Amino acid sequence: EDALLPAPQNISILSTNMKHFLTWSPVIVQGETVRYSVEFQGEYEREYANESWIPICECSLITATVCNITDDISATVAYNLRVRADVGVGRSEWGTLEGFFNRITTSLTPPLMKVIADGYHLLVELEDMGPAFQFCVLYWKKGQESRMQRKVVKEVSSVVHLDAMEAGPDYCVKAQTYVEAINRSSSFSQTQCVRAQGGRSVWL
Amino acid sequence: SVTEIRSGFTAIKANIQARDPIRTLSILSYPHSLHRVKSSDRCCITHHLFNFYVDKVFKHCKTEDSYVNRKISSIANSFLSVKRKLGQCHEQNKCMCGQESAKKFKQILVNYEGLNVTSAAIKSLGELDILLDWMEKSR
Amino acid sequence: SGELYCSLPNPRNVHFESINMKNVLHWSAPEGIGDGVLYKVKYSVYGVGKWIRKPECRNINSTWCDLSNETSDYEEQYYASVKAFLNGMCSNWTETTRFNPLTDTKIDPPMVSVSSTEKSISIILTAPEKWKRSPEGESVSLLQVYPGLQYNVSVLNKKTKKRWFFSVSNNTLVVPWLEPGTAYCVSAQIYVTTPLLHSGFSKEYCIATLKDKMA
Repeated sequence: EDALLPAPQNISILSTNMKHFLTWSPVIVQGETVRYSVEFQGEYEREYANESWIPICECSLITATVCNITDDISATVAYNLRVRADVGVGRSEWGTLEGFFNRITTSLTPPLMKVIADGYHLLVELEDMGPAFQFCVLYWKKGQESRMQRKVVKEVSSVVHLDAMEAGPDYCVKAQTYVEAINRSSSFSQTQCVRAQGGRSVWL
Repeated sequence: SVTEIRSGFTAIKANIQARDPIRTLSILSYPHSLHRVKSSDRCCITHHLFNFYVDKVFKHCKTEDSYVNRKISSIANSFLSVKRKLGQCHEQNKCMCGQESAKKFKQILVNYEGLNVTSAAIKSLGELDILLDWMEKSR
Repeated sequence: SGELYCSLPNPRNVHFESINMKNVLHWSAPEGIGDGVLYKVKYSVYGVGKWIRKPECRNINSTWCDLSNETSDYEEQYYASVKAFLNGMCSNWTETTRFNPLTDTKIDPPMVSVSSTEKSISIILTAPEKWKRSPEGESVSLLQVYPGLQYNVSVLNKKTKKRWFFSVSNNTLVVPWLEPGTAYCVSAQIYVTTPLLHSGFSKEYCIATLKDKMA
């Protein structure tokens, strides 16, 4: 089986908020449908299992040039990834990702957050980013940044109660995500401030 | 992380345990449960057990099921990253090995070598929840 | 033991149903077999060499057997097995999968008690107890079994229809600064992170804050 077909090029990883995607440039063969297959190799396979590779069946003979590898990149170790092309009986060599990928390098974005004042109560609504994510929420009375309070939210269920508020002063809130598996946090979200006024919530 | 090891194992527990027909033998629990290990020896036993799984067990657990194989890879790589952290404790002498842990770990190896390698590996993999339950309880 | 010829179809779907570590073995009758089937049950501790018969579940016609007593040590794991008999014929033993009481039990919601003042409600949460042999037996809270146990508490303002959630590690919660003369409904759920276990939410316990004396 000679490799007439060029190996896929420009193999790279897009990784945001612990979702990891492998992408590559299409291999062009006039009038033919090119299909691709992806395999991964963790540090365990390299050091203890004869450098074996493991196929990702969801990305076996696919026509797309992207593969969601999130479920397989499930440890904080260095992974190798490779892709090859198939057309009819023709098959390319493997194209391998340049360098390793470790999920510790994923980019973490600040969480979407909505602050609510419901009567004298300060509440926050956070987006559910999956089981790997916790949230660190900071809140304070405007002007009293030195007396900032901190709440860790592990399970996101719609509206999370932070604290009771005095009538009058503004209360400000910001949040960041924290991923225990890689021991990293995102930057903080924009600060949002609200004020309690006897039973009516007021946005500032 | 240990949570990810737990969820990876839960996904294949029934499949792996069904491949182990031997009810009368346990690698980790015979003759005594891990729960009997003195707290001072826990770090050392955990360190040895992570090495045991990485060095001896996972490589003999290949199955015909690609989903199971991917989960085993995920568990093995997670073990590797936790093993590294435990290794640091061991190097900094924070993980002292007493006589009891040496004896307990030796018994585990005897249990393991008492079976053919594939049966022993699959049985050990099927007993991961015994290790995880003990680790989480003693945390 | 009078077992002539084991050609009876096997009992089906032999499995443990466990709630708060009350571990009951259940199964379905063999396929296509009418009334009159009797069963016997045995169990074993994983890793220990012998099967142990359960005398109270010998020659029974029900399709369950309470093995809570025999499986109460949640540091062990277990198998159980059932055999069917009819008219001198028998089935083969049919086994469960390996049962781990710690990870395979379901947890009931917590008990919730609520009291109120004019402007606050106080909530006391009680985790369910682990199954025990007898009412006089020593009570063990599931909090002791699962040290990482936490509560999710939902508080619904019946007037505004708004629902808030609190995540609580200890068993009391006071929600201050509420509106007098307003009904609030509280329900709570238990969650354990390792092993991952969730109870359902309890039923709602509603209470009204006292009317404002000044109004």
